[in-house]
Amino acid sequence: MIATWYAVVSFMLIIYIVLDGRNFGAGMLHWFVAKTPEERRQVIAAIGPLWTWHEVWLVGFGGTLVAVFPRLMASAFAGYYLALFLILWCLILRGISLEVGGHINDRLWQQFWDFLFVFSNFLLAILFGAAAGNLARGVPLDAHGDFSMAFFTDFNVRGNVGLLDWYTVSIAIFTAVMLAAHGATYLTLKTEGPVHDRCEKCAKYLWAAVLPVFLIIMIESRVVRPDLPGRAIYNPFWWLGLAVSLASAVVLALSLSTQHELRAFLASNFLIAGMLATGSAAIFPVMLHSTLAPANSMTAYAVAAGPTSLHIAAIWWPISVALAVFYFVFISRRYAGKVSVQRDT
Amino acid sequence: MNSIFNDPGFWHRLQFGFTIVYHYLFPQLTMGLALFLVYWKWRALRTGDEKYNQAVRFWAKIFGLNFAVGVVTGIPMEFQFGTNWADFSKYAGGVIGQTLAMEGMFAFFLESAFVGALIWGEKRLGPRAHFAAAIAVALGSWISGYFILVTNSFMQNPVGYRIEANGSLGIASFSAYLLNHWAWVQFFHNQMAAVVTGSFVVAAVGAFYALRGLHPVQAKLYLRVGTFVGLIASLLVAFPSGDQQAKMVGNHQPVTLAAMEGRFVGGTMAGVAVIGQPNVAAQRLDNPIEIPGALSFLAYGHFGSFVRGLDEFPKEVWPDNIELLYYSFHIMITLGTLFIILMGFATLQNWREKLESSTFLLWVLMLAFPFPYIANTLGWMTTELGRQPWLVYGLFHTRDGYSKVVSNGNAIFTLIGFTGLYFVLGLLFLGLTGREIAKGPDQEAVITPHKEAIA
Repeated sequence: MIATWYAVVSFMLIIYIVLDGRNFGAGMLHWFVAKTPEERRQVIAAIGPLWTWHEVWLVGFGGTLVAVFPRLMASAFAGYYLALFLILWCLILRGISLEVGGHINDRLWQQFWDFLFVFSNFLLAILFGAAAGNLARGVPLDAHGDFSMAFFTDFNVRGNVGLLDWYTVSIAIFTAVMLAAHGATYLTLKTEGPVHDRCEKCAKYLWAAVLPVFLIIMIESRVVRPDLPGRAIYNPFWWLGLAVSLASAVVLALSLSTQHELRAFLASNFLIAGMLATGSAAIFPVMLHSTLAPANSMTAYAVAAGPTSLHIAAIWWPISVALAVFYFVFISRRYAGKVSVQRDT
Repeated sequence: MNSIFNDPGFWHRLQFGFTIVYHYLFPQLTMGLALFLVYWKWRALRTGDEKYNQAVRFWAKIFGLNFAVGVVTGIPMEFQFGTNWADFSKYAGGVIGQTLAMEGMFAFFLESAFVGALIWGEKRLGPRAHFAAAIAVALGSWISGYFILVTNSFMQNPVGYRIEANGSLGIASFSAYLLNHWAWVQFFHNQMAAVVTGSFVVAAVGAFYALRGLHPVQAKLYLRVGTFVGLIASLLVAFPSGDQQAKMVGNHQPVTLAAMEGRFVGGTMAGVAVIGQPNVAAQRLDNPIEIPGALSFLAYGHFGSFVRGLDEFPKEVWPDNIELLYYSFHIMITLGTLFIILMGFATLQNWREKLESSTFLLWVLMLAFPFPYIANTLGWMTTELGRQPWLVYGLFHTRDGYSKVVSNGNAIFTLIGFTGLYFVLGLLFLGLTGREIAKGPDQEAVITPHKEAIA
């Protein structure tokens, strides 16, 4: 039961990262792939109508986490206090710049919001990446299951660590590069004209850059957490995640070279989801690893809510996800196809 | 060294209070406005009259702006349960987490999936599907309100829980928790108050156009529907829902009712103070003008009923700011009464076909729209201040709930950050809403496919 909930919570976070990751990526590239105001509106239009739908998956994830792992949510969110507020503020800035930028047809106004849009999306990719790095590396959990972390300490990965160190910064850079590639793949699918051509080129370069950075962080991960994957090799989900990642990587490479835009984008989604699933299966059952003492680590079993709460959630959760799939079908049909360059006034 | 600067509990409360009050300025309009959109879309379908579609198109844009700000200010609310109220989440997360999660999964998914279709999808979807989108969005916003009120009602009147082995709360009866009596009463009261906000805003825009002589057909429509719905909703806020709410507080939280009314001493024939200043130090209400027996009657149904005073309760369970609680409650009631009078008079004038020519009344309607926001905020302040010193009534103190690992400086820093960010957000929101209102509703629907996405 608890392992299933661990999978469910991971699934929600993965869906969020895959969905909103395309917006972070497209947002980061916004300035570089779109030069004229019309082209920039095109990028915004590719993201525009759906960003709230993507962002609510973060709300769904947060809520499910409180419901089934309340103790973890409490420790982790209080411990990541400042970092989380930075993420929340960046999400606010990102949302406003999307909504507000198009409202007034003035060059300075749009340049300002475009800048803020690029900046906040870049910071979001970095912050979510650093957060993922923190999950892998661990946090200074004490014996009571509490921690509070500075932005940085001595940039080392053991003992009294901070949010940023050489490892988490590497993961953050990797995340930014990969989400940029993901965003470029998405924009290639959704745009036409010069933006499309630039994105297509961009996507190839960025995906090519993902590979070496990935190898570096794999070696780093081996150094930081020599105990992983450990028992995870007996976990079918770990193998499943790995298989999905590898297959998607191959499909992605083929689709990029043969210009199958939709297939490339789907592969990009599955690649990211597969990698995150592998990572989440690798650290299971530990949800928060302690860098101070392994005994302080919080496992899913220790932080789960009572059995009745889990049973109740097991009743409504599948219903809500079934409904979400129904909305998803509606949305994909409605917003399929490319966005055009013209704009109405 | 005993100052607020080394009382972290204060800063966590202030931050949550500030961010929730600010956040709720937006959903209260979307929940109210959603009904207007459904109604007008339905009229458009029935009559084929283009003016209803025009109204939907115009108000959907205002709705969209509100919705966007509501989403971005709402996400911090959920996360603050973990960041600022970690000890509360550890204690009650197994219970309240259910409805927090269900709000996201059932309500927000529905709302966010269809809000784009409502705002930009009129031509592509066709009238029937567009009507369905309006219903989906309205349903989503009201379901979201219900789940949040269940969460709050558990804090006011905990039911359906049990204490688990590790001392935290778990669910014993989900149906008892979800169908908390408190939640139903509060939902009705709160939703009607949201409709009051929506109708005042609709009427204010109508009055603005009427005074300027712009968009006469739309102005008439907004004024007519806004004032009539405003009257009905203002009446329902007071009776039966406000009355029920007060009775419920009297039954479950008698000390809170005593503090709300500034009753330091109990007795029969308890009066309602129309005016008066609570003097907590001297434990009396200064300079009161009372309606004798009214409180006994309102709270318990008989003039002779005994209403308990604060003196019967130990000071530890008194709400920790009686003055603020008392004034919040009384100003809310005063405003609510004025709303009924204003909307009643406006409806009468409208019926006599004199509303659009009565400049003074139009001015009042145009300038009245901020007051329902104030009344809603004061209502929530009454609820939340009245619950003190408890976080979960009778079970868990507010002072035990905040995150002990978060330093005071961090809490002050993020509060200042929110203040600055929300100030800018407020300016932008007002500016853009003002622009939409200035542009007015006389616009054609967007026709070309995909253009809706470009906004």
